Amino acid sequence: MRNTILIFLGLVLLGCSEKKEEQPTEIYIPQTELISQVKNTIAGDAITFFFKTDAPNETYKLQIKNAYGSVLLKPNTNERENIEFNIPENFTRIAGPFHWKLVLKSEILEEGTHQIATNAQKATYVESYFGPRSITAGRNDFSMLTISPTDAYDNPLNNGTEITVKYQFLENIDELQITTDNFIAWYNVASTLKSGRILVTSECNGTTSKELATIVYPANAVNFSISASSAHTFADGNQIVTFVSDIIKDEYGNTVTNGTLVTFVIKNERNQYLYTVGTTINGVAEAKTLHPDQATTWEVQAFITGAAESNITTFKFKSAVKDYAVHFSKGNRNIDVGPFESFMKQLIPDGLLLQLDIYDANGEFIDTKKTTSKNGVSTIFLGEHFLEDGDYTLKLTAAGITKEFIINIHGETIK
Amino acid sequence: MKKKTNTLLILALIVGLAFHGSAIFFTLESTYDALIHLFFADHYASSWFDPWEYRWYTGFTVQSYPPLVHQLIGILSYIGGLKFGMYTVALIAIVLFITGAYRYTLLMTGSRRIAGYGAVMAVFSSTFVETLHIFGQLPSISALSILLHSMTEIYLWIKTGKTRYFITSATMLAVTVTSHHVTPLFGMVFFIAPLMGMAVMDAAREKVASYKALTFKIFWGTTLQHFWRIAKFGGTAIFLLVFCIFPYWYNSKRNPITQVAIPHGSRDNFLEITSSGLVFFIIPWGVFLFILPYFFYRYFSKRYVFFGLSFTLLTILGTGGTTPIPRMMLGEMAFNILTLDRFTLWATIMALPIFAEFAYRMVEGDLKILIQEKFGGVYHRVLGGLIAGGMLFMVIFTMTLGYFRPSQPAKIKMQPIVNFLGADSHDSWRYLPLGFGDQMAWLSAQTRAMTVDGNYHSARRLPELTTRAIERIENSKFRGVEGIGSLQQFLTVPEKYNLKYIFSNDKFYDPILYYCGWQRLQQLENGIMVWEKLNVAPIPQIMPKQDVPTIMKLMWGIIPLSTVLIAIFVNIQMIWVRLLKSRKVPVHAFMKLELPYNKFSSKLLTISHWWALVVLVCMGYGMYIFYVKNVTQLSPNNVIESYYDALDFKEFSRAHSYIDPEENINIAQYMLEVSVTDGILSSYAKLDSLGIEIYDETENSAKAKVATRWITPLENVFNNEFYELVKRKNKWYVKSLKVDNDIPPDQLFTANGTTYYNHGRRKITTQETYHEDVLKQPVLEILSAKLVKYKGQYSIIGELQNVDNTPADIVIKATLYNDDNKELANYNAKHQIKHKLMPKETTTFKINFEGIAWSSTKDTLPPTFDPDQFTPISFEQQPTKFNLQSAGNTANTDLYKHVALQGLEYTEQGFNGVLFNSGVQEVTIPQLIISYYDENSELLWVDHKFVTEGVRIQRKQFFNYTPLDLNNLKIINSSLENCFVNGSPNKAIADKLFPNRKLVHGKQQTQPFKGKGYEYIKFEINSYIGNPK
Repeated sequence: MRNTILIFLGLVLLGCSEKKEEQPTEIYIPQTELISQVKNTIAGDAITFFFKTDAPNETYKLQIKNAYGSVLLKPNTNERENIEFNIPENFTRIAGPFHWKLVLKSEILEEGTHQIATNAQKATYVESYFGPRSITAGRNDFSMLTISPTDAYDNPLNNGTEITVKYQFLENIDELQITTDNFIAWYNVASTLKSGRILVTSECNGTTSKELATIVYPANAVNFSISASSAHTFADGNQIVTFVSDIIKDEYGNTVTNGTLVTFVIKNERNQYLYTVGTTINGVAEAKTLHPDQATTWEVQAFITGAAESNITTFKFKSAVKDYAVHFSKGNRNIDVGPFESFMKQLIPDGLLLQLDIYDANGEFIDTKKTTSKNGVSTIFLGEHFLEDGDYTLKLTAAGITKEFIINIHGETIK
Repeated sequence: MKKKTNTLLILALIVGLAFHGSAIFFTLESTYDALIHLFFADHYASSWFDPWEYRWYTGFTVQSYPPLVHQLIGILSYIGGLKFGMYTVALIAIVLFITGAYRYTLLMTGSRRIAGYGAVMAVFSSTFVETLHIFGQLPSISALSILLHSMTEIYLWIKTGKTRYFITSATMLAVTVTSHHVTPLFGMVFFIAPLMGMAVMDAAREKVASYKALTFKIFWGTTLQHFWRIAKFGGTAIFLLVFCIFPYWYNSKRNPITQVAIPHGSRDNFLEITSSGLVFFIIPWGVFLFILPYFFYRYFSKRYVFFGLSFTLLTILGTGGTTPIPRMMLGEMAFNILTLDRFTLWATIMALPIFAEFAYRMVEGDLKILIQEKFGGVYHRVLGGLIAGGMLFMVIFTMTLGYFRPSQPAKIKMQPIVNFLGADSHDSWRYLPLGFGDQMAWLSAQTRAMTVDGNYHSARRLPELTTRAIERIENSKFRGVEGIGSLQQFLTVPEKYNLKYIFSNDKFYDPILYYCGWQRLQQLENGIMVWEKLNVAPIPQIMPKQDVPTIMKLMWGIIPLSTVLIAIFVNIQMIWVRLLKSRKVPVHAFMKLELPYNKFSSKLLTISHWWALVVLVCMGYGMYIFYVKNVTQLSPNNVIESYYDALDFKEFSRAHSYIDPEENINIAQYMLEVSVTDGILSSYAKLDSLGIEIYDETENSAKAKVATRWITPLENVFNNEFYELVKRKNKWYVKSLKVDNDIPPDQLFTANGTTYYNHGRRKITTQETYHEDVLKQPVLEILSAKLVKYKGQYSIIGELQNVDNTPADIVIKATLYNDDNKELANYNAKHQIKHKLMPKETTTFKINFEGIAWSSTKDTLPPTFDPDQFTPISFEQQPTKFNLQSAGNTANTDLYKHVALQGLEYTEQGFNGVLFNSGVQEVTIPQLIISYYDENSELLWVDHKFVTEGVRIQRKQFFNYTPLDLNNLKIINSSLENCFVNGSPNKAIADKLFPNRKLVHGKQQTQPFKGKGYEYIKFEINSYIGNPK
């Protein structure tokens, strides 16, 4: 038994012994010949290569390469006599040159080029782009329509393919023919003088593209005019004055875009620049501000900055409060101002600003107190812990009328 | 003798699980840390071996925290979700802690009875309650509990030298290491070292008849005998500490913590900042405070002397910044990195056995007898009742702390946010939550979307974060100027981080979002407002990642759970035996050392009483101070403070109670007056400091100048208010300030306007819709641009117009170069610009270059960013050129332009102006942008001012503005050459769209004003609307 095992092991070891077998280097190259004579096909058509050979049992490979990629194919095994290669669908769908090489053990036996043409007959697709999506009315802006027609397999059509471009603006529909060059065709749709919407479409080999649009916005505004209005012209600091423009247009007569910002600059008699803004709706800009609380004249001019300005309109405010009474009490610590009477002797609406500037006897500024009127009157109380007893100059200002008092403040503490 | 199950331990376990186990469901999710661990767990659940986590801080590594607890939660999450995993681990931790405390007490006292007491005390220890229910430190608790378990084994190894104890102790230590790194590190010093000392002491004691006979010589001899055991264990412990979490150490070495230290309450002076004192001292110590003398007495007995030293150290270190000692002991660096509350935690845990011993002696031991003898049985019962009551009170107080003083915002429903991020590729951009508290981690755990923020501050990477002492941007308002400054940098340059969406749970941040150019997108059904920023590119497909060697990944993924498995495997027999008492085990050596407890020192009792009295007096004094500070109308100072406090917290009826009753303002009227005032101070400010100066004080009246500093999202606002105060019936009152009586002329207004809507995506499809739905970018024109230097700071100023026909959202970015065309800095326009422009509207702008904007050229980099202070620096690399990139995107919101400048007057105090709101939206915060021009109407400088009060509809608002002195301003470069709009050169646009621009319009719209260094001035208004209708 042991001997058997030993012999067996010995045999195994012998079998494993290293011995390099000399491989005879065969330099024999079989004769092959391309049988299939088709050099051109249309994208999508099946392609088969036949080779005649005197050594059919060798392992031939066909290397193919085109825009899709490159791959090594095995021959069809059903064929005995000849070598047959079926080109995969993915490769046959790409238009353009198609290189092939017949290979046997890294030896190139045959090689050649096959042409695949675009397949416009089967179907044509139209890819189109249009932009920018908005342009300005006038003569120098445009949107570009770019069309790239392709066949059923997404191969761009041949140069010189005709494309019909149609575009519509208001009642006009224009149509023209353009041809592709380097896969694409393009056309610049010029802006119009009127604002609106230009719709475009294109057609190639009976296939139409989707609808694309660009909006023609009005050009920059031109000068316009404004007017001011209010319930009355008294400076009561309460009513609202409204500035309105006429319909603002561009040089071609288009109403400017909704939302265009118009700044109304107000210059008053003291050369103070105030402003209020409005945005246009259907070309009309409206802006509001509050009446001043003292008589003055406003010069108003509106701007669309950089583009247009308006006439200057003036608005005169008459003083609403002609005069007011001031009453001191409680050791001159309590100051009742008013009643403020407006232009019809009515009490002025609540909220008139009253300012009190306090100076000491030497004219040194101490403090400012502000209050607003309620029911026509304002009251300021200068508590003893706020102001020591003594002489003071009090300057009261309300509705543009300033009154000055030199007064002795004394006594009367808070409870 | 058959061993009986320890009923006290069983009781403690039942009560502990019932009490803590049910309470965690109400507390754990609103703790500081629990949700962070949940986020980490989610990381492991989704990618176990890859340590890189993209979702926080633009990517960080989870190897910056020991993983065991996270991995356990992660594994358990496969059974019932992340929260199931978290609660399960918490329950395990509770059991481990109670049993750990039992075994530790047993080891220390040798009495199973006392150990039972220890287990019960552990359940009700306020330090455990706080750590679990307020801090949520699961890894810390687990690690500590295992450490307590391992102590018996370590003791037995030192004492007996049996290999099996060595193995059990090493396996347990490994588990400790992988769950928390700080616990074993310091545990070695504070727990294991004294334990070894005690073991040796016990061994030495066995050689002599009594402790008295135990001399140092004998002790030293015994130490030498045991040296190899100690060394073997010490070496193993160090090896385990390094090996088990080696990737952690590797990462710490590679990414050292270079960030600015974040202030932590545990480093405060507890006497000054009483809230920190409460949380980090009073609560963890609880009733232990009264028994401190007993702890020291016992711990400084011969057997425990090493524990005594350790306990003393821990107690002192736990006092934080109250005394300078911890700072001196730890050194400045460690002091500012460590959170010192953990020392208090360890000290209180260390005291547990002694407290248990005290309780035993008090309830059924010699102390009971002594007190009954000395003071009578009633006193003993009262005292016992007080101690037990005190413990219960502390537990309930601690548990409910989060309820009465919530540390977190109310629970947010995350589902709408998660849905929002998942829909329409919103997760292709980063997002930022604001005002979420620690719940942000829970949001992160639920979505794959990424944020620039994060909640594990040691892992912060962006310099915007590491250079400031802020833990999260999300709660930046609590970090004052630094926090807001950091947030502003993210908001101003969001495209740097692909940050497009902000979820705001705190309207405090709304104004800064608006003024940095963000817009409201929608309000989700959970009330969270979504803000978005236009012109931000999505996150690139390939993101930077710091990779680690595969071996590290394997170690990190495999070792931690293996330690648990090994530990269970090794100890399973012991657990089995111990649990079921199936077999008789030999009594451990330390069991023989149970003290008889027959004579409680009478002196100690007296000292304890005096000490308790001292503690009571201190507490009483503290409460008195608290009362005096908080009693509202005791002094003029108090009433002003209370008044402002009430206003700050919007408690208007309380505020009203401080108003002089003789003014006869009823509450309804007061509420009405307060409610109509809107603006940055009343709606978006946090009172930061209050300086009260009382003057002209008499018996019954006083005046107060109140200087307030408010933190607002935009800038610090300093405000001075003058109040008159009166005293009536011993109470001080504030006299109310006058309200504006102005009334508008009409009841009903009409207004027309153009509104806009952008469909976004018109086709309902998940595919990309390319050019069909993309709007053309509105075309802008830069009218002027200049590089100027003013007060040592470089700025780009300029003017810009929307020359298109649709409203535009403006983003403008400037880059500075030196003469050699080397880039020095780049930054975006922040709030000195109107970000939304109507067609043909213009805006002036200014770009300041803040700290982070500067590239690494040290010469030009300003040292620190402080919005209120500019440091002139010497420049070797002068910026001389600039590049401006502006981009417009169609805007459809925030286009309110109806605030007019109604009055303007120059006085000695500056410009007094009047704003008038002529539209139908209430303007919450009006901003003035003031531009200065020279005699040729050339722009010189741009300044801004936020008017602190809002402008109500059809009403006026007054403002005051002090013009600047521009004599030192220097224009370095004025050029439109390198200006681009939407990527196209500005000049081409100007030539095409505005060939005949009327340049005189600029001059015609500016106010002539002869100022210091300028001739014209212009006021522009930008209005923020808090509640758009």
